[in-house]
Amino acid sequence: MTIVSAISLDLLLPRKLKYIVALVSILGSLIAFVPIIFQYANYSSPEILFEGSYVIDKFSLILKGLFILVTYLTFLLSVNFVESDEYYQGEYYFLLLSSLLGALVVTSSRDLLTMFIGIELASTPMFLLSGWKKGDQKSNEGSIKFFLLGVLSASLILYGFSLLYGVTGKLVFSDIANTLIQSDLNQSPVTLLSAILILAGIGFKISIVPFHSWAPDTYEGAPLPVTAYLSVSSKATGFVALIILISKVFYASGQGLGIILVFISGITMFVGNLSALQQTNPVRLLAYSSIAQAGFILAPMAVAGITGNYEDGVYASVTYLIIYAFMNVGAFLVINLLQRNIQSDDMYDWGGLAREMPLAGIFAVIFFFSLAGIPPLGGWFAKFVVFRSLLSTGEIFGVSLGIVGAINAVIALVYYSRVSKIIWMDSPSENVKSNKDTLIPSPLRVVGFVSLILTIVSGIFPGIFSNLGEASSIFFNS
Amino acid sequence: MSSFSFLDSGLGLTIVVFLPLISAIFIFLIPKKQEMLIKLITLGSAIITFLVSLVVALQFDFNDAAELQLGTKVSWISSINSNYEIGIDGISLPLLLLSTFISVLAIIYSFEHLPEPKNAKGMMSLILILETGMNGTFVALDLILFFVFFELVLLPMYFMIGIWGDKTVRSVSGLKNDIETRLYASIKFFVFTLFGSAFMLLGFLGLYFRGNKTFSIPELIELGTNGAFTGTFATLVFAVLFLGFAVKVPMWPLHTWLPDAHTAAPTVGSVLLAAILLKLGSYGFVRIALPILPEQAVAWAPAIAILSAIGIIYGSLACLAQTDLKRLIAFSSVGHMGFVMLGISSLTSIGINAAMIGMVAHGIITGLLFFVSGSMAHTYHTRDMGRLGGNMKLLPKTGAILAFTAMASLGLPGLAGFWGEFMALLGAYNPLPGLNVTIFRSSMVAGAIGTVLTAGYLLWMLQRVNLGEPKEEWIDQELHDADNYELVAWIPLVILTVLIGVFPKLIFGATNDAVIALVAKAFGG
Repeated sequence: MTIVSAISLDLLLPRKLKYIVALVSILGSLIAFVPIIFQYANYSSPEILFEGSYVIDKFSLILKGLFILVTYLTFLLSVNFVESDEYYQGEYYFLLLSSLLGALVVTSSRDLLTMFIGIELASTPMFLLSGWKKGDQKSNEGSIKFFLLGVLSASLILYGFSLLYGVTGKLVFSDIANTLIQSDLNQSPVTLLSAILILAGIGFKISIVPFHSWAPDTYEGAPLPVTAYLSVSSKATGFVALIILISKVFYASGQGLGIILVFISGITMFVGNLSALQQTNPVRLLAYSSIAQAGFILAPMAVAGITGNYEDGVYASVTYLIIYAFMNVGAFLVINLLQRNIQSDDMYDWGGLAREMPLAGIFAVIFFFSLAGIPPLGGWFAKFVVFRSLLSTGEIFGVSLGIVGAINAVIALVYYSRVSKIIWMDSPSENVKSNKDTLIPSPLRVVGFVSLILTIVSGIFPGIFSNLGEASSIFFNS
Repeated sequence: MSSFSFLDSGLGLTIVVFLPLISAIFIFLIPKKQEMLIKLITLGSAIITFLVSLVVALQFDFNDAAELQLGTKVSWISSINSNYEIGIDGISLPLLLLSTFISVLAIIYSFEHLPEPKNAKGMMSLILILETGMNGTFVALDLILFFVFFELVLLPMYFMIGIWGDKTVRSVSGLKNDIETRLYASIKFFVFTLFGSAFMLLGFLGLYFRGNKTFSIPELIELGTNGAFTGTFATLVFAVLFLGFAVKVPMWPLHTWLPDAHTAAPTVGSVLLAAILLKLGSYGFVRIALPILPEQAVAWAPAIAILSAIGIIYGSLACLAQTDLKRLIAFSSVGHMGFVMLGISSLTSIGINAAMIGMVAHGIITGLLFFVSGSMAHTYHTRDMGRLGGNMKLLPKTGAILAFTAMASLGLPGLAGFWGEFMALLGAYNPLPGLNVTIFRSSMVAGAIGTVLTAGYLLWMLQRVNLGEPKEEWIDQELHDADNYELVAWIPLVILTVLIGVFPKLIFGATNDAVIALVAKAFGG
């Protein structure tokens, strides 16, 4: 029964689009949440489908829940946005749902083909969506960049996958890993090469340095809800794929990959944060911030590659991913709200805006300081589990990365506090036209409060993530 | 106190910690226009919090002050074995009472004295959130819980300084454009403190992994005093804890955020910052760093003593150079907290007792000084001591209290400030056996010189501000002397200053046993 509901969940979603109404998509994504909860409640052991290609375990259920919820929030963010500019509504929702389907597939995929299809299904619609503002040059530019690099990244992933297949002749991850170990190819250059190719390919999706350059332009050009989705859901899809690959295929490939990842993670934090410091465009600021955050999410997996403690690494990365998702959606919501009132690319034009829009002001404080990791907001626990997993063995790479992380947390505070500073403390700019649009439409209100509650609750009662620890241990041992 | 026995097992302390936060959330929901209602709810919840903390103090068994009491331990984050573990002993009790008490006074003062932009709703809820953070830090017995409360004070204080702070534009070396004092000071305060505490968190994690995966402070103390943490590891952990706490105290040379923050903050912000927030750092040393890493405490003690001595001298000299009244008091804090840290660094029961009473006394006296100076800055619209003068004639009540507080601050025997300074010097004269006596005695001499300098700058300040004839610019102006709200907020502090000065046992009665037990356990002294 549970199997059927999971599959029907995956298959049903796009079909709902025949009605091409925003409402249906929104309700559909909410309804899709129901079987997930039922399955989670009735969970006994992992369901293995298609000879091990598709596995439904707690880990994948939690992530499916996350993706569906984020997509739901994105829909709500989109309602006013899409309507106001007369975009093509039906296609817009259809593409987002297709991307969601891809993400859902990725969470359960346990073979090369399924995963590749999942990744591409998740990212291809985004090429179109990021160029949705047709008349806007920036949007076109960002979309083209995204498309070209996206195709390149797909081919890199495919190349890496084909190397793996060529060496082992297997498709399913567990078979590949076993064959690699049996034929003693774990540390061979071919395996490492394929790992690096795959890392580079997925690196584009999760925008880690040096594969990050597309992100700020694309984020800036895309419609704001799409940007939110890109920075949360697309990035999470890439991370999930990477986590599965590292812990299911490359777990015995030695420390080389781990060391590479440690350096990438540290550099990503620095590049993201130092670039974000100089931004005056709020969307670009969040783009660079999300690059820096990717460094944090990657860090536990990187160190796990060295210490072999994957269970802890998966737990930390996924916890971070989940908390990050909601606070980042919240941060985009804030920008959306403020831009509705004062349409501007320069956030310094928003001086003193919180006095007109106190609720948006409070949202800004909560979400941006949560991103900065200030207790008792959710972000602190995300940072904490990452630090915890980095220091868990006292191994030198882990400790060094922990110190790098601590320094970056301080740098990040400077720019995360800036938005709150501007809207609460600065005086209004004189030469700015205000739309006097301080009313918050109810869909956006829902997004705000859902994210707000999740952000605060996860900060004050982080105990709710203890299930995740169990989930990651099931994930790892199945 | 059997009638309040339901407040045992942690309920009383939990109320003290969370009632302010809950009231703050409640206040968010009240429309801004109901200003009086907001103020009354805030005051009511602060008073109830204070009364509950008094009841807790009455229930506290002073014969057993070395033991942690009235606490509880409930699972909080099971996946990392972090618990909601709280409790108080003789060391935390006086600070907890100080915190709940000063919060009430701060709220009373804010009834009528909100700087632009008024917004009582914002200010009141920030004060309440701040109070939760402060009270929580003093009762937390779990490192992660401690960390969360320790950081919880940052956001409210950041906004207090940033929104209600001083709007004067100043130039800052290193910045291209001029910037308003409040904006510069608020982010500087935030970044400095976060810098320290980010590393402190790494240190906590280190202790967790080496210490049987527990964050419980009593358990870690047990482990630490039995020598579980040694070698390079312990050195590194102490270094990061030192960083985290020393920024907050603040110790020289990490103090530079303090004068800016104090000068820029609104009166209430300065008061809370000086009276309570600084104590979080020195309390952290006594509660966490010393007993968990005793070996390292001994190794670092001379360095801490030297830094404290430098802090005392530097703070006093800097005071002599100030023309800004609030900045002078801010620098005097650097000096006074130097005495507190000097006391702690001696690692003797006398020294640490001195630190405890020093903390309370500094909280009361400097809190009062900031109240008075803030009020004067509001009345005169300037803090420039060159323009002030003859305050005694213009504002007799304010002037009298300023004079009294300055006397208390310079350590006049019979008033609260005396004990902390005097006993810290005693402690430094005779530090824990095994510590380098030369260094400590030199620090003591430096401290003694510091007391003279302190007397010097405070008396000079009085002479410039209070005495003499009023300047011409003030003569024909209508200047308002202290009103009732101000007097209600100030008089209790005056009384406390005298009481503690005459009966230091009020503090020592609580702290002494706990401190002796701590020293015996950690340093065998």
